[in-house]
Amino acid sequence: MPTDNDDHVDRRTVLKYAGTAGSVGLAGCSGGGDGGDGGDGDGDGGDGDGGDGGGDSFELGVTMGQMDSGLDPQDHAETNTEIIVGQLYEGLLDRDKEGGIIAGLANEWERTEDGSVQFMLRDGITFHNGDEVTPQDVRYSIRRIVFEDVGIVSPQSNDLGLVDEVTTGDGQVTVSFEGFNPIAFQLFATNGPIMQQSWVEENGGDYINRNANGTGPFRLTNYESGNQVVYEPNEEYWDGAPEVDELTMTASSESSTRVNQLLAEETDIVTNVPPNEVSRVNSSDVATINSVASARIIFLQMRYDVEPFSSQQFRQAMNHAVDVESIIENVLNGFGNITSQPTLDGHVGYNPDIDPYPYDPDEAERLVEESGHAGVEITLETPIGRYLRDGQIAQAAASQIDSLSNVSCEVEQREFSSLVQDVTAPNIEDRPHFNLLGWGNAEFDGSQTLTPLLSSEGALTVLKNDELDGLLTDAEATEDPDERVDILQEANQLAHDLAPWVFMHQQFSVYGVSSDISWEPRADEFIDPDTATQQ
Amino acid sequence: MSLGRFALKRSLQGIGVVWGVITVVFALRFVTPGSPINAVAPLDASQETRQAIAAELGLDQPLYVQYGRYVFELLQGDMGRSYIRGQEVTTLVFERLPATVELAVAASVVAIVLAIPLGVISATNRNDPVDYGATLLSLGGISTPNFWLGIMLILIFAVEFNIFNTSGRGVDVGDVALSVVNAEPFVGTLLTWLAYITLPAIALGTYFMALITRLTRSGMLDELSQGYVQAARAKGLPRTLIRYKHALRNTLIPVITVLGLQLGTLIGGAVITEAVFSWPGLGTLVIESINQRDWPALQGSLIVIGTSFVLVNILVDVVYAYLDPEVVTD
Repeated sequence: MPTDNDDHVDRRTVLKYAGTAGSVGLAGCSGGGDGGDGGDGDGDGGDGDGGDGGGDSFELGVTMGQMDSGLDPQDHAETNTEIIVGQLYEGLLDRDKEGGIIAGLANEWERTEDGSVQFMLRDGITFHNGDEVTPQDVRYSIRRIVFEDVGIVSPQSNDLGLVDEVTTGDGQVTVSFEGFNPIAFQLFATNGPIMQQSWVEENGGDYINRNANGTGPFRLTNYESGNQVVYEPNEEYWDGAPEVDELTMTASSESSTRVNQLLAEETDIVTNVPPNEVSRVNSSDVATINSVASARIIFLQMRYDVEPFSSQQFRQAMNHAVDVESIIENVLNGFGNITSQPTLDGHVGYNPDIDPYPYDPDEAERLVEESGHAGVEITLETPIGRYLRDGQIAQAAASQIDSLSNVSCEVEQREFSSLVQDVTAPNIEDRPHFNLLGWGNAEFDGSQTLTPLLSSEGALTVLKNDELDGLLTDAEATEDPDERVDILQEANQLAHDLAPWVFMHQQFSVYGVSSDISWEPRADEFIDPDTATQQ
Repeated sequence: MSLGRFALKRSLQGIGVVWGVITVVFALRFVTPGSPINAVAPLDASQETRQAIAAELGLDQPLYVQYGRYVFELLQGDMGRSYIRGQEVTTLVFERLPATVELAVAASVVAIVLAIPLGVISATNRNDPVDYGATLLSLGGISTPNFWLGIMLILIFAVEFNIFNTSGRGVDVGDVALSVVNAEPFVGTLLTWLAYITLPAIALGTYFMALITRLTRSGMLDELSQGYVQAARAKGLPRTLIRYKHALRNTLIPVITVLGLQLGTLIGGAVITEAVFSWPGLGTLVIESINQRDWPALQGSLIVIGTSFVLVNILVDVVYAYLDPEVVTD
């Protein structure tokens, strides 16, 4: 990646010509002839990475769509901030690239007889300021997330389950819950960054949001709010210091600007490359596209209590009316997997025996007739720019529904914050009738989609079904993991049949990656530059 | 009225304008759909969590309490804390302002350096091919959307020819100045600064370049037809002296006025250019704050933009009053 040092300036050969020509011009001479010599001494004029790659230094740039919302790892709830602070802080457990649970600050973990979970901390782990991580720091961190009276009202307060209390022992921490928590380890593998109690208590919110003191693989060296975050490797990192010598994270809201940065070799990894830019990246000789199926599912919600969506036949008809395969192929350039149920393939509770609804307009028209809603007019509300090609996907789906002889469908574009206001309304009666939404399940467990989105008490539910509620309650209370999987698979089958959604697709994370590095993306949308290596 | 009283009167009017901006933006909170809680809390946050966040941000208070508290704190120089970033708005805004001012000034320089010679050449070669060329250029500049121009400039000069940086702000003008003090390579720092700022300055300045070219051209044509110019010619003064010492100087009075006003517009209006070039200025902060309903950050940004605009206007008025005392008398 080019840097701002002199080597980088040298690479800008033509600019040097301009500077030389300007000087010559000021001296009263005409420029031109000597321009060809201007770049003589550089040698690295076209190499792009000559400045930083010439020696042993490995400088890595990552460009996302948006910068962080402050560096407090426990006071945010969005992916970009998680990526930026996730280089600095870490939790008791972690995940590998496929989403499997691996050790973090705790190297052993187990469930105790009373249903609590116990974590044994690694020896000798230190925060970036050199102080050792203690069980008391872990207890404080968990309590700061969960309990409002500890310091902040954390938006992550639901992310660790219903924590009752946290106790400490010799190098260990025990977390007890209100009732049994079958997915405690899944939750702790995704959530719960550990902070140093004394550091937090000694510093105010403004300081904590601009500085960092974690245990992660990188240390903070420069923070410019809204502009860039620069890191250096944590040489004391328990899992070995990253190969990267300097990491810079920046953002550009314009996808074309991100791609241009990559093609101009100013950065090494860019996020969310739109499908229409993929061929431009792949046809260049400086970068390639690297994609992975993410943990995010895209669907069209239908509210069960309003006509025509109160009819199960009508909801199933909508599933038959939308050609998801075609949308994936033509709108997403193949960057998507068709879905058949709320739980994604690879997540706990996924039912491999359920097939997607086949595209069958005749069957859709027949079901609409049977539902008694022939001739109905419906509106699909969609956010724009929130998910990969969301507006175009909604337009295509609505157009396919509209092409049925007995249903009219139009699209209403909504600004995301405004749509969310409605989708999260306390009463289901105030929520949209029919809307596109995406849901990321970073815990890789089916209950984390089914419960909030389809149980009667779910924060975003559009369905009330006693049988499904019963299954989810059983899954919540079941201690046997295999039995729990069976229950969740049954719940997914029921959700498929009830068809509260038009099951669309699993979104892909599409990255542009410099040919100078080797890096594999992760399923959970997190970026781990510490695993990047120089080619 | 003395010039001092005139300036004081304009300043008081300016305070009224800024207060109006504060009030209007505050009122917009309540007619705009969406809530900052949606940007802070995850989608599946419980109603209890949402209420707790609302209480922490003070959003559970009645409107008049929120407004009164905000104005009270503002009078003490406190613009509040960002709902989303948890940081002081004053810090957020003032670390973004220099980037915006730098870009606005650079765009103005681009506009002036190109526009005034073009306008003069165009006027003094009326109906010649060079006049048509300059007119075509200025028409093109006025009609080209700057986001399109920005993307084209990036594609051609950054991606294809690798001359400039595509985006970002690697170093600022302060770094260039400091390189002299710190005995760092001045030319290297200067060229790095130019590599970042040139394209956004051209993209942002092109419209104003076109505007000023047309203004200069028409002003020059007016002046060249004045009696004093004919008298000067009759006296046998050299043509260059008549054009550049007499006619151009008079032409520049309205040009400077427009330039001053446009500088204020540029400070608040560089939103699209900042987005295309990932320029970390106030425009970017405004857009992010609107999207996230981060009202304190948005209000802070708009207060600074509004105040800058008012200050520039006052300055222009005072300069104009100094140049033309009749304005004060009126």
